[in-house]
Amino acid sequence: MVELIDGSENVSVHGIFNWILLLTIFSVIVVIGNYIGYKHPIADSLIGMAILSLITLVGVWMERELPLNISSIIYISVIGIALAFPSMPTSDAIIHYVSQIELLSIVTVFLAYVGIGMGKSWGEFKAMGPRAIIITVLVIASTYLGSAVVAHVILTLTGVSV
Amino acid sequence: MTNNNDKTRVTHTYRNKTDKRILKKNPWKDYGLHITVLVLVIIAMVIGPMEITLTKGVTVSIMPLLYTMVLGLACYLIKQIKWIGKKQSKVAEGAMMLFIGILIAKLAVSSGQSIHLIFEMGPALLLQELGHLATIFIALPVALILGFKREAIGMTNSIGREPEVAIVVDKYGFNSPESRGIFVLFIVGTIIGTVFISFFTSICVSLLPLHPYAFAMASGVGSASMNAASLGPTIAAFPALETSIEAFAGFSNLLSFSISLYIVIFVAIPLTEKLYGFLEPKIGRKAIVNDGGS
Repeated sequence: MVELIDGSENVSVHGIFNWILLLTIFSVIVVIGNYIGYKHPIADSLIGMAILSLITLVGVWMERELPLNISSIIYISVIGIALAFPSMPTSDAIIHYVSQIELLSIVTVFLAYVGIGMGKSWGEFKAMGPRAIIITVLVIASTYLGSAVVAHVILTLTGVSV
Repeated sequence: MTNNNDKTRVTHTYRNKTDKRILKKNPWKDYGLHITVLVLVIIAMVIGPMEITLTKGVTVSIMPLLYTMVLGLACYLIKQIKWIGKKQSKVAEGAMMLFIGILIAKLAVSSGQSIHLIFEMGPALLLQELGHLATIFIALPVALILGFKREAIGMTNSIGREPEVAIVVDKYGFNSPESRGIFVLFIVGTIIGTVFISFFTSICVSLLPLHPYAFAMASGVGSASMNAASLGPTIAAFPALETSIEAFAGFSNLLSFSISLYIVIFVAIPLTEKLYGFLEPKIGRKAIVNDGGS
């Protein structure tokens, strides 16, 4: 756990090169999965993934270069929302190409890496008792249901229909 | 080289992990890893989603995303697969922190496309973040009954992903029982969280008559992989609302990674402390766990 929180390094050209290659590999796998699972055309999907990769790259770069203490997740969200904002000139093209990529295609590839990455923690996980598992399950279930119920109540109160 | 260290420590855990793995090594050279992922994805997509009917009216949908994750873990654990080892696991973890960006970008585009929704449903979106506090009232008493002591404060205040771990370690110190508690939650959550929330969402969606948007907002629990795993069954249940569901998940994520952290710092942790002080003398068991194990 200590290695999780220690020094950081500055962006180098070498680093950006690595990011681009990794994003390219990821994009290709997603496009193949997207084609097999949902039959979306390969060319349009590739453009869609290129757009998403570019947004990610800019967000990740901003996190490291700008002197603000803001996570890349926030930058990426804001850039994505801004580019697809209905009155933006970019929005039609962005929405068209990005909609060729099913969310579930991205998630399926993403979770393959998560699965391999979680292998490292397996030894520690096996050492945990059943009580730890009970608490974890309760924490996740109540966090999820808590916000679902609150959201439902507010949506009903404000009269939102499906 | 290292800039504003104290502040980076708290919120930039993702960045450090990614950089250490990506800037120093050349992770794309791990062809074995990426080809394995490609093969897993092809297998998962060819099989496609499955639906299992538990009892009448309760169906659990198992999405391809679960196959790839479980198979990925299996690849690591099966000794015969030599090309997926500890090194690949580290590279995968670092790469995953970068790939979260793609996921977030996709959700953000859906959010931007449906920006009118945030104006119509802003109050629900904001207030549902407070729903996360439910964990304190449900999990904390159970933790006390099971014999946990101050570990329970770390274990039950939030979903316990990287940002929350950093907050708790920062507040209580690395060797405190509270930090021990959230480390346990972090590790167990890493392994079972994604699979569990996917099944749990399936069951909730088919059992509970809540608004589809409520399920979408709830999926943003503060972990990108759990969010993704929860969205799968939600979209499968309401396919016509796909873009709106993605939009809410995107907004909800944005909130979870910004406002929610402050809710954890200023509301959740103090509230957990208060409730612990109130409940511990009543239902706490006599220090069964001083060693932290079971």
